[in-house]
Amino acid sequence: MSDTFDAISMLSAVAVLTGLGLGFGALLGLVSERFKREDNPLVEQIDALLPQTQCGQCGYPGCRPYAEAINQGDALNKCPPGGEATIHALADLLGREPEPLDGEAQSEAKVAFIREAECIGCTKCIQACPVDAIIGAAKLMHTVIEDECTGCDLCLDPCPVDCIDMLPRTAPLHQWQPVIAHSPGLITSDRQPAVGSVHVERL
Amino acid sequence: MSNAFDFPGGIHPPERKQRSNQATLIDAPLPGRVTLPLQQHSGQPATPCVAPGDTVKVGSVIAQREGMISSHLHASISGTVREVSTTQIIIDSDGQDEWNRLPSIDWQRAAPNALFERLNESGIVGLGGAGFPTHIKARVVERHTIHTLVINAAECEPYITADDLTLRHYASDVLEGAQIIAKLCGAQHIVIGIEDNKPEAIEALRQAIQKSQPITVELKVISTRYPSGGERQLIKRLLDLNVPSGGLPADVGVLCHNPGTLLAILHAVRDGQPLVSRVVTLTGEAISQPGNRWVRLGTSIKELLEQVGLDHTALHQVIQGGPMMGAPLLTLDTPVTKLTNCLIAATIVELPPAPVESPCIRCGECESVCPVSLLPQQLHWYARANDDAKMERYHLFDCIECGACSYVCPSHIPLVVDYREAKSRIRLQRIETAKAEYAKHRFEFRQARLAREEAEKQARKEARKSQQRRTPTSAVASSEKVDLRGLRIAHAAAKASVKKAEKTLARVAQEDPKQPLDDLEMQLATAQENLKAAESQLAQAKEQQAASAPSQSEESS
Repeated sequence: MSDTFDAISMLSAVAVLTGLGLGFGALLGLVSERFKREDNPLVEQIDALLPQTQCGQCGYPGCRPYAEAINQGDALNKCPPGGEATIHALADLLGREPEPLDGEAQSEAKVAFIREAECIGCTKCIQACPVDAIIGAAKLMHTVIEDECTGCDLCLDPCPVDCIDMLPRTAPLHQWQPVIAHSPGLITSDRQPAVGSVHVERL
Repeated sequence: MSNAFDFPGGIHPPERKQRSNQATLIDAPLPGRVTLPLQQHSGQPATPCVAPGDTVKVGSVIAQREGMISSHLHASISGTVREVSTTQIIIDSDGQDEWNRLPSIDWQRAAPNALFERLNESGIVGLGGAGFPTHIKARVVERHTIHTLVINAAECEPYITADDLTLRHYASDVLEGAQIIAKLCGAQHIVIGIEDNKPEAIEALRQAIQKSQPITVELKVISTRYPSGGERQLIKRLLDLNVPSGGLPADVGVLCHNPGTLLAILHAVRDGQPLVSRVVTLTGEAISQPGNRWVRLGTSIKELLEQVGLDHTALHQVIQGGPMMGAPLLTLDTPVTKLTNCLIAATIVELPPAPVESPCIRCGECESVCPVSLLPQQLHWYARANDDAKMERYHLFDCIECGACSYVCPSHIPLVVDYREAKSRIRLQRIETAKAEYAKHRFEFRQARLAREEAEKQARKEARKSQQRRTPTSAVASSEKVDLRGLRIAHAAAKASVKKAEKTLARVAQEDPKQPLDDLEMQLATAQENLKAAESQLAQAKEQQAASAPSQSEESS
């Protein structure tokens, strides 16, 4: 009697659990098919951390392709415009070890400038610009829209007359940053006049 | 002490107002030359509209407002424009002081739009310190209902007596200015908040209130405590309303104005006089005739201080603004602007340089005096570690930079300096992020455009090809297996994203018509390009299928 009872209860438990498993499995399958995303959300997140200069210094045609490559396992250190900060942010996001930057870090923000007197109007730089920041037409002078330029250098090489310069970007007055030197945080007994310290006259 | 009508914290620094509130308010001598910076307000700098050599009168517009949040700039003396640069305009005086006034407006009968326009063309900005253009502040009614206008006469910072003296001399004019603003914003109450250390101004207000109409004015005298002149703090003390974090007083139905601004508003409306001068407190131990003066904007600070007996040998530093929130000037060769409310020429004994800072001992003094109930010591920790995310989580942007924490810090840590630095750093980062996002959208737009052009080119090529081969060989047609279904899906997705972009654009445009929409328009254009590409691909595929279908049917038959 107890044998049959055990068998029934065991079988019913197995049946219920199997049923639940199949039910939820089907539900999950359905949901993943129904709400499938074409794009990879991780790629979006990586792309958001890249500086979007679209300069191609990483060897990919733009920031998004590089984001996709990183997602596939490419190195994190191929973005000179982003510098160390970007590498660290990416390493944080992906849980990888930060690597030193491959290449020279960019010291300051740059902007392309066309020496308009020398421009021959060949439109080659316009075709090269990844963000459509150069305006002009064939045989007419071109010029760079300063606010749109990302300073990616891509217009320099195609120019047949070398009339494009990369100039440091001048920050507007309202983006001025104060330069503040913090004291090292010594305790009082450690304090002594620093050797060769400069006294700055205020007035 | 604290009751429901009170903000937490606060300090009682020595007031030192006696030095400047004894003398009456007089005009400073006319300057021989004025230097007018193009940005004397928050927002975009103004654009010059005069050239060197032009003759101007007092009140002539010399720079026009640029963009949404900006303000006109007027000549403050009559004479000749000497120099126009990207940052400033210099005018040499002809000594005549000829005025160019606008016609007077009877504000009680005038249409609101005429008054708004007058505020706009008079270049009035908030004279309390932030310099927000008043004509934009007045237009707040378009999106908020205002029930109370608060006149912020607390003037809680030590040394400054500009509002005090303004009220003593022009109490009824200030109230009339308040009536104009109350009419514009539809406020039913006017409340004056004033600290009890200004008995003469309070008396003058009491007299003036009786004649002020149409709205009755309520005078609330509050005990002196720094920083009750902070907008949020004063609203809390007077009305017991909490302005939400990141919000404006208008969110709780309150508008706050400084007496000086209200006086300037009256002068602009009644006398047609643009903002060309303001009351400046000249004080400190290093000058011999302290007091308040009506100073023309652009007057050299050095000349101004020398006129009131500046003793260069005793001078240690000149502070613009109050001792708590003001900034020491690195040079005296700088002009008085719309935001210069006080100049303190201090001796070294009066305002000694802060001792060298020691490490934080986490005593919690700063926390107990913070009027916004922040945790200054935690913020200090994260500021020094450049941990911007944590600072934002600890509500760095709610800090009003009053300096109470730095004032009480036993380790003499310049806490507010840290916060200001962090704020400007985070703001810059936000600008950079927005810029990167914009560049990304432009890049995407270009990619979409190139793809569309490629697809169209392909379609043309195919069309030419099919024209040439009138009798298509079935082998070619069937080898090009067309993925019509995939293209249809892509087409539908592109259509959906165009709709979505249109919706977002419409929603944002409706919510805030003043916001720049370039970026969203760009995203819409990208979606449209994508849709065009998908359309031409789909059309091409359909054509191919149509071309191959008859040949297949021929074969089968």
